Parts: sequence; structure tokens; C-alpha cells
Amino acid sequence: MMRRLAVLSLALATVCLGAAGVSAKPTADTGPGCGLGKMAWSQYKKQKSIGPQALMGITNMLFPPSNQGFGITYETLGCTNDEKLWAEEKATMFAGINFENLSQDMAQGRGEHLASLATLLRVPAEEQAEFFAMTQEKYTSLIQSGEASPVALVKALHEAMAAHPVLAKVSTAR
Amino acid sequence: MFSSPPLRKQPGLALAFLLMASTAGAIEAADDSYLADLIRRANEAKLSDDRYWHLLLHYRQNLTGGYTSEQDDTGFFLASNGKTDPRAELEATLAQFFSAELVGRSRQPAQCAFVARYHWLSEKLGIDTGRLPAQRCERFERWVGEFDAQSVSLIFPSAFMNNPASMFGHTLLRIDQKGQTEQTRILAYTINYAADVPPDEGVLFAVRGIFGSYRGYFSTIPYYLKVQEYRDIENRDIWEYRLNFSDGQIRRMLMHAWELGNASFDYYFFKENCSYHLLSLLEVADPSLSLTDRFLFWTVPADTVRLITQQPGLVGEIAYRPSRSTQIRRKRATLSDEERRWMERITQDPSLIRSDEFRRLSPERQAFVMDLTSDYLRYRGVADEEHAASYKEKNRAILTGRSALRVKPDEMRIIPFASAPEQGHKTSRAGLGVGWRNDDTYEELAIRAGYHDLLDPEIGYTPDAQIELLSAKFRHYNRKDQTRLEQFTLANVLSLSPMDSLFKTPSWKVSAGTQTIRHNACTLCTNWNLNGGIGAATETKLLRREVYFAFAEADANYSQAYDERHRVGGGGTIGMLAELTDRWKLMASGSYLGYVLGERSDDVRWFVGQRYTLGQNLAVRLEYNHRDHDNDVLFTVQAFF
Repeated sequence: MMRRLAVLSLALATVCLGAAGVSAKPTADTGPGCGLGKMAWSQYKKQKSIGPQALMGITNMLFPPSNQGFGITYETLGCTNDEKLWAEEKATMFAGINFENLSQDMAQGRGEHLASLATLLRVPAEEQAEFFAMTQEKYTSLIQSGEASPVALVKALHEAMAAHPVLAKVSTAR
Repeated sequence: MFSSPPLRKQPGLALAFLLMASTAGAIEAADDSYLADLIRRANEAKLSDDRYWHLLLHYRQNLTGGYTSEQDDTGFFLASNGKTDPRAELEATLAQFFSAELVGRSRQPAQCAFVARYHWLSEKLGIDTGRLPAQRCERFERWVGEFDAQSVSLIFPSAFMNNPASMFGHTLLRIDQKGQTEQTRILAYTINYAADVPPDEGVLFAVRGIFGSYRGYFSTIPYYLKVQEYRDIENRDIWEYRLNFSDGQIRRMLMHAWELGNASFDYYFFKENCSYHLLSLLEVADPSLSLTDRFLFWTVPADTVRLITQQPGLVGEIAYRPSRSTQIRRKRATLSDEERRWMERITQDPSLIRSDEFRRLSPERQAFVMDLTSDYLRYRGVADEEHAASYKEKNRAILTGRSALRVKPDEMRIIPFASAPEQGHKTSRAGLGVGWRNDDTYEELAIRAGYHDLLDPEIGYTPDAQIELLSAKFRHYNRKDQTRLEQFTLANVLSLSPMDSLFKTPSWKVSAGTQTIRHNACTLCTNWNLNGGIGAATETKLLRREVYFAFAEADANYSQAYDERHRVGGGGTIGMLAELTDRWKLMASGSYLGYVLGERSDDVRWFVGQRYTLGQNLAVRLEYNHRDHDNDVLFTVQAFF
């Protein structure tokens, strides 16, 4: 709290420092590849869910890390022609950054994070209720995979879908 | 503004014949002559004076009549003097369109790096792709394809006092994707403008921020990251305004956003900040909007929201995304006493969810209590980082139990504590008043740059939060026939956070400024004051809503009225704030301060004030102030602008 008071004088100067929340300065583009994915992969090595960690850091420190690669034109979006790989990468990154929200949603068998993950895994809208129920049922083992890594969670979800009477056709159709 | 249908083929054809007649096969020459033709027609049509060209290049008129671009990255200009010469820049741009050379920070051919310029000029001049071949812009097309835009929303994470970084709110744009539902909206990308502040900047931060020595960049962060940051970590409500843009307008906006990948602006915290540059993107989408020139000195995010909602037909549906703490408070208010006790018990000991007693609740209510407890444990994990691991473990235990309950409690609609920001008063305030002080009467003129105080109409603002910046009061005392600067406030910030069994955020305040005091021999003396305090608050709902607060504080003063010209000490304040009706609010407080450094003395202060709201931007106040030896009664009419 005292630190808050101490930085208050600084804060008064910041009409929307929220803006500075996540720095946008791109890292040097290192050739072909996905900025978004690159960020995700490089950060998984350091920390299981770097998103919240980094953001918490910002909240507490006021100062954002300046190495996040979401800058425009740095190939951060749609950066590969391999659509399947790109979709997989997006799902994995989403699962990693939103793991805590996903674990709540899976336990409850509903929620926007779960619906979004289902969409990234290309589960059609009419099958999503099955998907939600499946994640609730297999909550414990899915969370164990998620604690290991987001890659493991996505893999476990694919496997669970493949073994599911309704979702199997979605899974194999990919 | 000159705007004619694109000049068509004839001149080009005539030129083509001429060229064929002269030097066959000399492509360079053909390029040159077509370039000359394009430049001539652009100048005839005065395209470099066109508002759209100025929007794309971010030109602002100088006081002397010339132009300067707000853009500060040299790679954004194709002419060496492009920052100040719109015509030279336009000519250089046309010339560069003939080349496949990689330009700008994004290293692409000019047609792709500056795709909005290319499309606009191409449309205005009817560029013949036979003579100026079109480049394929795969990177841009992939980028736009990934957005797969259906509509654009303006996102406003509201102000939140207990993180100084969020005091004024923020704005960003969200590009809503085709096929997304409200359930999958978090997958959309945003367009966000942010300063790049290196870590560990310390005190320099404020100085550099005010004078624009940071660079601001545009970026496209997925919305789920922003939701996590604002809703889950900072506990800020988010408001979402769907903007009614056509497909063509959205495409134009995205083309310009792509160009801004080559751009960086000096980031000025007060004016050229996150909100300001988003407004310029909206102007590119719809040049008939006039937004950025409404802001002279500062751009407050909430003001930009009000401005946008006032544009006829611009805003469609408005959505509200409650913060985690708002959700917890609203849901907890629906619990029965028994359920509330259960929530507190399972927060401490999650294994109790397996007890027979807990299972006597219906499965729906068990699920509701567990979901709420899980939210609360996550809230605590962020608020109390030292014990985050323990909260996480408890949350896992709750969720494991929850997953065994195959029920879906009804979705609960969460009502915000602070109503929509566009309904709030504007941020600057002026007041005219008359009053009585000791044995004199006076007239008062007051002006305040920003932003909101505890007695201002609370609609649209974070409850119990006050930020006053740069305020001055001038008075004319009639008997003494003296006009003086009665009071000047540099900053006066106060945050009350009512505590209860779940939320235990302290309240705090800090202020710096001058007042006029009567002390010792001096009857109207300027006093410089610095005050800061920490305390606690609680609330009741007897009438409508009452908040009680208490602070321990330190107070330092400098004035020639004191012996040794200063006094420094400490003391305390207690007070209350009561909403009597939706227009009528009352505040009362009392302070005792004892001074131990400088002049040894003490001070008792009382304040009773009330406000009545006449309209969104109009209010009246009656205030009584007792301070030291002063008694002061003031009636004011206040207008927000």
C-alpha cells in the first residue's frame, strides 16, 4: 500500500497508462514464423502460464515487459500458410494463457473460455454441449494434463474427443 | 474540399499513344511519364489538401498555417520532408508505388506497406494497373484474413482507483470476427495503442510520459488477454460499444491500422494517448466524423466514450462485462445466511464440500456456492500474491468437487455498481458561487480541469473514488475589497473501499495544493499544504447507501502566517457519505490535526456539504467549512463541460 502511495504521483501523470499495460514494441522479426506463436512457445519454456504472470507483473510493477510480440506487421497474425498448424498453435496458446479460467469452465461444464476453446478445436456449435459435458466428466485427468503443459492439455482433449461416441467424428474429420 | 469522380482513361490513352510513337520498349520512360501524369492530376485535384490525405498521414495544421504530422517515425514518410509537406509526401508516395523496393519498418513494397494510401490514390486517380502494376500484398491479405472482420467495437475498461495505472480508464478497439457469438467474443483481436515503457523507469516515468519521450505503438492483442488483464486481474468492469461501420469502412480502417505498423508516435500521457489515436483510426473509417480535434489539452478515455456515443447512429448495441469483484459482490448478495456461512467455511477448508451437512443444500445451490467460492479464491490469489499457491490449491479442490455435480445453475445477470460511462458528467467543471466567510461576504469563480470528486453526480463513475486535478478558486471579498486566488489544487485523490468479510482493501487519500487561511495576525493568508492518509471504510444501506470512513493522516503546511513559517503533524479524519435520493448526496467529515514540527499548534476542521443534481452536467451545492479559525458557507452552481 505504501508503495502505491509512493507511485501515486507518477500515476497522476498517466491519463491512460492502462495503455502501457502490455507493451507493443515488437521484437526484431527473425524471419518466417509466427510472432504470436513465437511468443507463446518461447514463453512456455519459462513458465506454464506466462500470460497471467506477466500481467500480474504489470499490475504490481506498473511497468510492462517490453518483449511481447503483438506489433502490427510483424507477422503476428495469420503468419503461416499451414492452416492446421496455425489453428493448433492458437488453441495451444489459448489453453496456456487461460488455463485457470478453463479449469473453472470445465468443472462447471460451461463458460465462454470453454466455448472459445471448443471453437478453436473446431467443435461445431451443435456438438459443443457434448464437448462441455465431456470436459466436466474428465475434469481431473484433463487438469493433470493442463498442469503439465498446454500442449499436453490440447493433446488430451483430442484423445478424449477421439474416444467419445459423438465427438469422435469431429476429431477424425480434422 | 475538392472531390470529383476519378479522371478516366483519356489523358492516359493519349499519353500512351505518344509514348508508343516515341521510344518503344523503354519502360522506365513510360513509368516516368505516367508518374508525371499521375502527379499532375493529383495536384490538379488538390489531393494533398484533401482531408483524407491528412487523416492518413496524421497531419495537423500549425498555428502558422502549415502542416506537421503527429507521426514520429521517419519510416512512415516516403519524402524526406514528408512530415511537414503533404504535397511532397504525396508525390513521393506516387513515385514509390512504381517500385518494389522494401520500405518502412515493416519492409514491404510501398503499395503494401502503405496500402490505405495506395487504395485511396488509386481510387481518386483511377490508376491504370497496366501502367502501374499492382503488387501482391500477401502479408497484408493474410493479416486481414485472420481478422475476418464483421464489425468493430470500442472497448472501455473502466477506471479503477486501487491500481494507480488504471485511474482514468482505457480505450481500445476490438475487431469482431464473423461467426463469433457472445460466448466466443474473447477470441477476437483488438487494436490497441500503447506506450513502450522500459522496465524500471522509476520517477523518470512521469516526466518522460508527460513530455512525450516514450514511443507509442499499435498492436493486435487477442481480446482474451485484455479481458484477463482488466476483468480478472485488475477487477475493472468493461463496457463494449458496437460501432455501426460498413464493410468498406472497416476495411479502410484495417488498411490504415496496417500502415500504422510502420508508425510510432511520441506518447503523451495527457493528450496523444491511447484514446486519441484510436479516434484517428475511427476518422479514417468514416472521414465525416470529427473526433480528434475536439480535444485540445487532454484526452480522457471516458470523454472519448461520451463523444462517440453522441455521434448520431454510430453506436449500436452496448454490452457490459462485469469485473470479477463485481460478480462476486453481486452473487454473494443473493446468498442466504446459511449459504454465506458455507462460503466462508469452504473458503477456509474446501474438504467440507464432501460433508453431509453441505450436501443437504440442493445440488444447484451447492454448485452456486462452489462457483462463487472458486471466483473468490481466484480473486484472493491475485490480491494476496504471497499466498497465491495456497488459494490455487484450495480452488482445485473446490473445482474437483464441483465437476462431480452435473448441474448448471441459472446464469445470473450482473448489474453494474457504476452505470454506463457515457451517462456520466463531463470531466471539466466550472462553478459560480456566493458565500460568507467570517465577517465578510464574497463571490467565487471556480474551475477544475478534472475529473470527479466524492460529491459530484456519481452516475457513470467508479463509486467512492475522487480524482481532482488542477483546480482553482478565485474569490472577491466584498468588505475587504480584495480579489485573490482562494484555493489551488494540484491533485486531490481519495479512494474509499468499503470493507466486509470478503474484501479488505484499505482506503487512502493524498492531496497537494494551497488554501487561504486565517491564522495569528494574518486574515487572508496563502497556505501550502501536503496531506496523505490511510484508512478504512464500511457501508450500510439504511436509506439508499451510506459509506463511513476513517483515516489516519500526515499533514504538512507552509505559510507566512505560522511561526517559523511552517507546521507539520498528524491526526485523523472521520466522515460519512450518504446518497439521500438519486439526485441528492450529503457528505460530512471532521478532522483533528496536531502539529509537532514548526509552529506547535492544533487544528479542528469540520465539513458538511450537499449536492443536488439538476442535469447530467449541472448541479448545485451548499457547503459549510470550518477550519482552524475560519467559518465559511458557500452556495455554488456547477456546470461540467
